[in-house]
Amino acid sequence: MGILEGIGQGFSVALDPTNLLYVFIGVLIGTVIGVLPGLGPTATIALLLPITYEIEPVTAVILLAGIYYGSMYGGTITSVLLQLPGEAASVVTTFDGYQMAKQGRAGPALGIAAIGSWVGGTVSVIGLVLLAPPLADLAVEFGSQEYVALTALGILLVTYLGTRHPVKSLSMAALGLLLATVGQDLITGTNRFTFGSISLFDGFDFVAVAMGLFGVGEILYNVEKTEKAQALKSKISNIWPSRKDLRDSSGAIARGSVMGFFIGVLPGGGGVISSLASYATEKRRAKDPTRFGKGAIEGVAGPETANNASSTSAFIPLLTLGIPPNVVLALIFGALLIQGITPGPQLIDQQPEIFWGVIASMAIGNLMLLILNIPLVGFFVQLLRVRAGILAAFALLVTMAGVFSVNNDIFDMWVVLVFGVIGWLMKKTGFEPGPLVLAFVLGAILESNFRRSMLISGGEFSTFFTRPMSGTLFALMALVIIWSTVQGIRRRRRRSRPSTPGEEDLAATGTTAEPEGTPGAENTDDTEGATTGAPRDGSGSTGATGSTASGAQDGGPGPDRG
Amino acid sequence: MRISAGLAGVALIGLVAACGGEDGGGGTAAEGGGGGDASSYPTESIRMIVPYGAGGPTDLTTRTVGACIEEELGQTVVVENLPGGSGALATTELVAAEPDGYTLSLVTAGTMVLTPLANEVGYTKDDITPVGVMTEVPSVLAVGENSPYATAEDFFAAVEAQPGTVTVGTPGASTPQAIELQRLAEEHGVQVTAVPFNGNAEMTTALLGGNVDAVLINASSDVVQNIESGAFVPLVASPEERLSWLPDTPTFTELGYDGLTLSGSTFGLAGPAGLPDDVVSTLEDTLQTCLDKPEVQQTLGEEYVLEEFAGAEELGGVLDRTQEVYEPILG
Repeated sequence: MGILEGIGQGFSVALDPTNLLYVFIGVLIGTVIGVLPGLGPTATIALLLPITYEIEPVTAVILLAGIYYGSMYGGTITSVLLQLPGEAASVVTTFDGYQMAKQGRAGPALGIAAIGSWVGGTVSVIGLVLLAPPLADLAVEFGSQEYVALTALGILLVTYLGTRHPVKSLSMAALGLLLATVGQDLITGTNRFTFGSISLFDGFDFVAVAMGLFGVGEILYNVEKTEKAQALKSKISNIWPSRKDLRDSSGAIARGSVMGFFIGVLPGGGGVISSLASYATEKRRAKDPTRFGKGAIEGVAGPETANNASSTSAFIPLLTLGIPPNVVLALIFGALLIQGITPGPQLIDQQPEIFWGVIASMAIGNLMLLILNIPLVGFFVQLLRVRAGILAAFALLVTMAGVFSVNNDIFDMWVVLVFGVIGWLMKKTGFEPGPLVLAFVLGAILESNFRRSMLISGGEFSTFFTRPMSGTLFALMALVIIWSTVQGIRRRRRRSRPSTPGEEDLAATGTTAEPEGTPGAENTDDTEGATTGAPRDGSGSTGATGSTASGAQDGGPGPDRG
Repeated sequence: MRISAGLAGVALIGLVAACGGEDGGGGTAAEGGGGGDASSYPTESIRMIVPYGAGGPTDLTTRTVGACIEEELGQTVVVENLPGGSGALATTELVAAEPDGYTLSLVTAGTMVLTPLANEVGYTKDDITPVGVMTEVPSVLAVGENSPYATAEDFFAAVEAQPGTVTVGTPGASTPQAIELQRLAEEHGVQVTAVPFNGNAEMTTALLGGNVDAVLINASSDVVQNIESGAFVPLVASPEERLSWLPDTPTFTELGYDGLTLSGSTFGLAGPAGLPDDVVSTLEDTLQTCLDKPEVQQTLGEEYVLEEFAGAEELGGVLDRTQEVYEPILG
C-alpha cells in the first residue's frame, strides 16, 4: 500500500464518528490528567486499559494515544502557572515558563507551548508516516538475535540513562525480569513458580501488574498526602505570542521537533529525556545563555515541542517491531495484546486500519488540542481543586471492576491489590516502578528470543555478535555503559570543585530525570527538581512558591541527591 | 469559581463512571441454574464458556455457533471468555457445573488432553460429555516463497541428509504442532529442530524473514491469506485426506508418516460429564442444523466446517485417539 493510499484509509478510519469521539475523549482526559499533578499518563492508561477491551482495537489505541500526547500539553499548564509540573516531561518548562508567568507573560508561554507542541506532534506524525513502513520492511528480517539485542538495549537504557539511581533501577528491572519467568516456560512448556496454581500457568497478567503498580500504588500514595488547593496567582491575558516571540522560538521549535522525534524512537527515550535535551541545546545555542531561567521563551518552546514530538514517534518501535520503547507504550502494547493483536512487522500490512488510523487520529488529535488548549486554559487550571480523595475512590473502583473484566478472574484482582501495595512501598522508598514494568514486558520477549537464538544456532553464543545488526546493537550497548560511566566520573570530579551554576544544574537535571511514565517520580522528584533547579539556574527568587508546591506534593521521604 | 470547580468534578466523575459502566456489561455471567425438565430443554439461558480470550478463532467459533443455537432453541446464549491456565480455568469451571445442558464450553484436544497430561489440573477428558465438532482448523507445514525446498520431498530429503539442522517453528511448546514434531522424530526418525514461538503472528514474521526454515502452523485465515498471496508455500497438510482447498498439497499420511494427523485443532462443543442423552441429542441436532447454514459457514470460514457433520461420538473419538497417542509422550 502506498503512503497516500494509507493516509486516505487512515483518515477514513479516524474521521469515523466513533473514533472522532474517542480521539476527543482521549486528548481531553490527557489534558486533564496532565494538569492534575497526582495522575500521570502512565497511571491513567493503566487504569483505563480494561475498558479498551470492549471497543475496537483501532479505537482503543486512538484513545490511549490521545491520552498520552494530550498529557504532554496539559502538563505545561501547571508548570507555567504554578511551577508545578503536571507530569514528568514538563519539568523543564517550569524553569522559564514560570518566570514568564511572573513577568505577566503566562499567556504567550502557554500559547507558544501549544503551538510548539502542535508543530512537534505534526512533524512527528509525518516522520512516522515516512519512516515506519520502510522500518517494518526491514524489521521482518530481524531474527530472534536482533530481538534479544533490542530488548536488552531497551532495558539497559531505561535503567541506566535518565534515572537518579541506576542501582535501584537495575534492581527493579531485575525484579521485573524475574516476575516475567512465572508461568509456563515458552520453550519447554513446563510450569515455573506457579506453586500448583492454575491462575499462574500463564504468568502474572500484565494489566493487573501495571494497574497495581501504577494505578493503585499511585492512588495510595496520593491519598497519603495532605490535600491543598492550589491557587492561581497569575492572570492570563492575551494568549497569542507576539511576532517577536514567534521569531525567537521558531528555531527552538524546529530543533525540538527533530530532536524529540529521534529521542522518542529510542528505547528508554521519551518525553522527559527529549525535553531535557532540547532545553540543554537551546541554552547552549543561545547568544546570551544567562537569559535562560529568567523567562526565555525558547526555553519553553523547545522542550514542549520535543516532548510532544517524542510521544508520537515512540509509536514507531511498537508498531513496526512490536517492542514498546517506554512504559506508556508498554501499556498500549498490552491493550493490543488483549485484543488479540500482536504488534510486529506485519501489523502495517495485515491491520493497515490500525496503523494508518492511529496516525491520522494523531494529526486530528493534535489539532484538537491546539484548539482546546488556547481558550480553555483557565478552565483546566480549576481542575486542581478537585479533591484527591474523591478522585482516588472512583479510580480504585474503576480499577477493580476493570481488571476483573479482562479475564473474568478474581485472582487478577488480588494481583492488583498486592502490586498496588508493592507500588506504594516502592514509591515511598524511592524505587521506580517504570523499569520493573518495562522489564516485565520485555523480559518475556528477551527470554524466549534468547532461547530461540540458542535453538537455531545450536547453542553458539557467537550468533549474537556475528550477525551484523545484533552485533551493532551490542556494540552500542557497550558504548552506552562506557559513556555513562565516564559521565559519572566526570560529574563527580566537577562536583568536588566550585562549578558554574548553569552547567552544573543542567547536568544534574539531565541525569536525575525520570524515564517516561514513572508516576512515582512525577511528584516528589520533579517538584524537587523544579525547586532546586529553577532558583539555582536563575534568579533565585522563586524559592518561596517553589517550596510550597514541593511541600504540598512531597509526602514520602525525598530521594537523596547523591 | 466554586461552581465551575464542582462542575468539573462532576463531569470527570461522570466520565469515569461511564467508562466503568461500559465494561461491566461484558462480564456478567448468567447463572446456569439447576433442575429443569430435560424433555423441555432448554427453559432458561445457556452459558457457553470459551477457554481463550476474546477476538481469537475460538471466540469467533463459539459466538457464531452460540448465536445460532440461541436462534434455534429460543433461549439466550451467553458467551463468556475465561482465558488462562492453558484452558484449565475454563475447563475447571465446566466440569464443576451441573450436567443440565445450561453450561457448555468449547473444548479442544489441547484443553482436554494436553493440559491435563502436562499439568496437575484435577480433571481429565472423561469429565466432560462431548456434543459435537464445531470447526476443525488443519495444520500445514509451510516454507517461505524463496525457500530452497519446493516440495515435501525436497524438504524431507534435506532433513534426512543433515538431521537437526533444519528449523521448524511451532506456535508454542505445548501445542499439538510441537508434539507432532516430537512424534516425527521418535516414530519416524526424522529430526528437525523445533523452535517454539508464541502464536501465529510471530511464526509468520520469522518465516517471512527467513529466520526459520519452515513452520508447522494452524491454517487459520491469516495463513490462508499468506498462502494465497504466495508468501507461504504449503508443503504438507495435517489431515488424513487432502484438503479440498489445497488439492495439490500432500498429507503426512501420503508421504509415509502414518499417524501424524493430530496437529490440527478441533474445536468441539461439550458439557460436563453425565449430560442426559436427550439434552445431548437436542444440542447435537441443533449444532448440525447450524453448521448447515450458509451464513454460519461463511462466518466460521467454509474451509473449517467439516463437510460431514461430526457429532458426540466423533468428537469423543478424536479426544480418545489424541489421549492414546499423547499419553506415552507426556504422561
